[in-house]
Amino acid sequence: MAIKERLNKASKAKAWYGEMPVESLYTVGIAGEKFFRAIKDEGKFLGTKCKKCSMVYVPPKIYCERCFEKLDEYIEVAECGSLESFTCVHIGLDGNRLPAPIIVGLINLDGASTCIIHKLGETTVEELCMGMRVCAVFKPKNKREGAITDILYFKPTKQ
Amino acid sequence: MKKSNIKNQSSSEGREVRIEHKKSLSPHYSLLTTKFQGVGLSDDDIKKGKVCTTHWIGDTKYAWDQGIAIGKYLEGLKHGKILGVECHKCGRKMVPPRMFCEWCFKTIDGWVELFDTGVVNTFSLCYVTWDVKRVKEPQIPAVIEIDGASKGMGIMHLLGEVNPKKVYIGMKVKAVWKSEKEREGAITDILYWKPIK
Repeated sequence: MAIKERLNKASKAKAWYGEMPVESLYTVGIAGEKFFRAIKDEGKFLGTKCKKCSMVYVPPKIYCERCFEKLDEYIEVAECGSLESFTCVHIGLDGNRLPAPIIVGLINLDGASTCIIHKLGETTVEELCMGMRVCAVFKPKNKREGAITDILYFKPTKQ
Repeated sequence: MKKSNIKNQSSSEGREVRIEHKKSLSPHYSLLTTKFQGVGLSDDDIKKGKVCTTHWIGDTKYAWDQGIAIGKYLEGLKHGKILGVECHKCGRKMVPPRMFCEWCFKTIDGWVELFDTGVVNTFSLCYVTWDVKRVKEPQIPAVIEIDGASKGMGIMHLLGEVNPKKVYIGMKVKAVWKSEKEREGAITDILYWKPIK
C-alpha cells in the first residue's frame, strides 16, 4: 500500500502553496503621538519624567513602570547619548543572509533613564565600543512621516 | 449643524446609560472611565493622518504538505475525477480520501472512482465574504454527499446556477468543472455544483 512508499526527494512531496493576508495598523498612543510628532516636526526626542522616582522614559510612557505614577511632564532629551550595547546582524527577518550586515545598538540618550534600540551607521563593528558617544541622524524634514524610521541611524561622534 | 447636535446628545446619553449599567457589574469601571487617559480614534483620524501610525503587511507564505491521500485526490481532480478510498472491513467508501479507516483503525484497502454528482446534505446562504465584505448575491457553501460514496460521505463546496431561495436539503447536484486546460489539481477545479433533475 502507498503508506509504505517513501519519497527519495523531499521536494517531490506535493504541497499546497498559499499566503495568509496579514495587515496591521498600529496607532502609537498618547505618549507615542507626542514622541513621534516631536521627531517629525522638530527633530528632537521627548521623554516623560516621573515626579516621584525621577525616572525619565524615552520613548515616553504615560505611567511609571516602577511606581505607577501618572506621567504628564514631557521633557526634551538630547539627540546624542552613549552606546550601551550593540550587535551585528547578518540574517534578515526572512531568514536569508543580508547583503550587508546591519549594526544594531542600545542607546541611552543624555537625560534619559531608559534606552532605545536603533541602527548604527557610518561606522564598522571594529570601531565600536560600549560607552561610545553616538548621535541621531534624521531624515530631511520633508521626508519624515512620524515613525521611528525618521531617524536613519545613530553615528559615532568624536568627543 | 442641528443634526450634529442631536447626534452628540444622543451619544452622550447613551454613554451615561452604559456607565450606569457597568457600574453595577464592576466596581472598577468608574475608575476605568475617569482615571485612565486616552480617547477613541475615528476612521478619519487615521485616514487623514491626524495620528501617527505604523502600517505593516505581513509576508506569510506557507506550503502545506498534501500527504498521500489528498495528493492523489487533488491529482484526480486535475483529470476531472473525484477519487475516494474504500475499506473492506466496514465496507465504507470514503471521500475525501484518507490513508486510515478511522472506524476500523486499519490501512484502507484501495481507491475508487466516484461520480461527479451528489446530494445536498446541508447548506448555508452566505451574505458576507471571508474577509467580511457584504455581498448582495449570496455564496452558497454546501456539504455535498458524493454519489458512489457511502451515505454521509461528502465534501464542502459551493452551489451555483441556482436561485438561493430554491435550494433544499436532498437536492441533486452535478459538478461544473473548469476546462481541462485550466485545471491545476485544486478543489477549485470544480467551479461549483449545479442542480440536476
